Amino acid sequence: MAAEKTTMQVTIVASDRPVWSGTATSVTVPASEGGMGILPNHEPVLVVVNSGRVVVVETDGSRHGFDVEDGFVAFDSNKLTVAVEHCSDETAVTAE
Amino acid sequence: MASQLAFKSRIASTESLAKIFNAQEMIASSHIAKARKVALDAKPYSDAISDAVQALVAHTHITHPIFKGEPGNPRVAVLALTSDRGMAGAYTSSIIRETEGLLARLDGEGKQPVLYVYGRRGVTYYKYRSRQIADTWEGDTDKPGAEVAEKISKALLEAYMKPADQGGVSELYIVFTEFVNMVVQKVRVLRMLPVELVETEQQSENETAPLYSFEPSTEEVLDAVLPKYIQSRIHECLLTSAASETACRQNAMHTATDNARNLIADLTRKLNSSRQASITQELTEIIGSAEALNKKEE
Repeated sequence: MAAEKTTMQVTIVASDRPVWSGTATSVTVPASEGGMGILPNHEPVLVVVNSGRVVVVETDGSRHGFDVEDGFVAFDSNKLTVAVEHCSDETAVTAE
Repeated sequence: MASQLAFKSRIASTESLAKIFNAQEMIASSHIAKARKVALDAKPYSDAISDAVQALVAHTHITHPIFKGEPGNPRVAVLALTSDRGMAGAYTSSIIRETEGLLARLDGEGKQPVLYVYGRRGVTYYKYRSRQIADTWEGDTDKPGAEVAEKISKALLEAYMKPADQGGVSELYIVFTEFVNMVVQKVRVLRMLPVELVETEQQSENETAPLYSFEPSTEEVLDAVLPKYIQSRIHECLLTSAASETACRQNAMHTATDNARNLIADLTRKLNSSRQASITQELTEIIGSAEALNKKEE
């Protein structure tokens, strides 16, 4: 697969501010029915998120974690948007 | 002519008022920058929600109560966004005038308006006139956070979702002030609920596009996203109203400062002429009496 195809645009927004945006190789979101991993070129999807932790893996392999609450995740044309009511600032990701 | 002492004390009090107005004006102009930042910060979220709703509209055949009210229910909700504090010129009074007009029009259409008010000024106005208010919120009208928007939209959606016999409403109107620019703010009435579906051309083009998948289910996604859509729209209204309020306050305070300065100039002129008059009078008296004395000596 071409290198540029293996990344996606990620935007995380809370109701009162934009939180993070950048390019990522994979994102894990706390869907209402269990964790869900999203890779580039996923099919278009709209997922309800209750509360939990969004983990973004950037192109250089660094990980970013965000505690989110109550919202949804939309993926369309290789763009992932996480829109939530409340979102913590970036927190350290511990290896799981 | 009033005494010089009276002029002096009026000038002193007008000067201190002018100082207060000037300070208020400066506070308002610093708040404007903040209000603009808050509005900009909230924009990505409301854009994301609008996109999601657009996707929902384009990819599903929606039948959700948010898109069609209860036709048989005459009760409609009216939300008026006023300010917490005065000193903002005609801001609250023009909202109230528009609200009264809307209520009269709805009454004329045979509907029963139910009033909701945000902002202390509006609440006291209607309480003083013992109007029935379904619910009120106060605080932070000049910098409304997401929490206030959440509270308001929750209460209104609850009223909207209730059936007619339990006191539910079939429509929701919002009276708010749109921030056009620093000088122009427009009072607008918006029908928020039921949401009008905008059938875009995109929809027909997208018939063959790959279908979105919804998790856990289409209904649950609708139930989760649509209330948020309403909430973010209400939040938008609150934010533009807050910016308008601050701009109104700045304009009003600017005019007040100017008026105070004119008044001071006017009073100073009167004070000077009164002082001059008294000096002239004293001189005439002295000259008159001196001449009288001279005449006696002759």
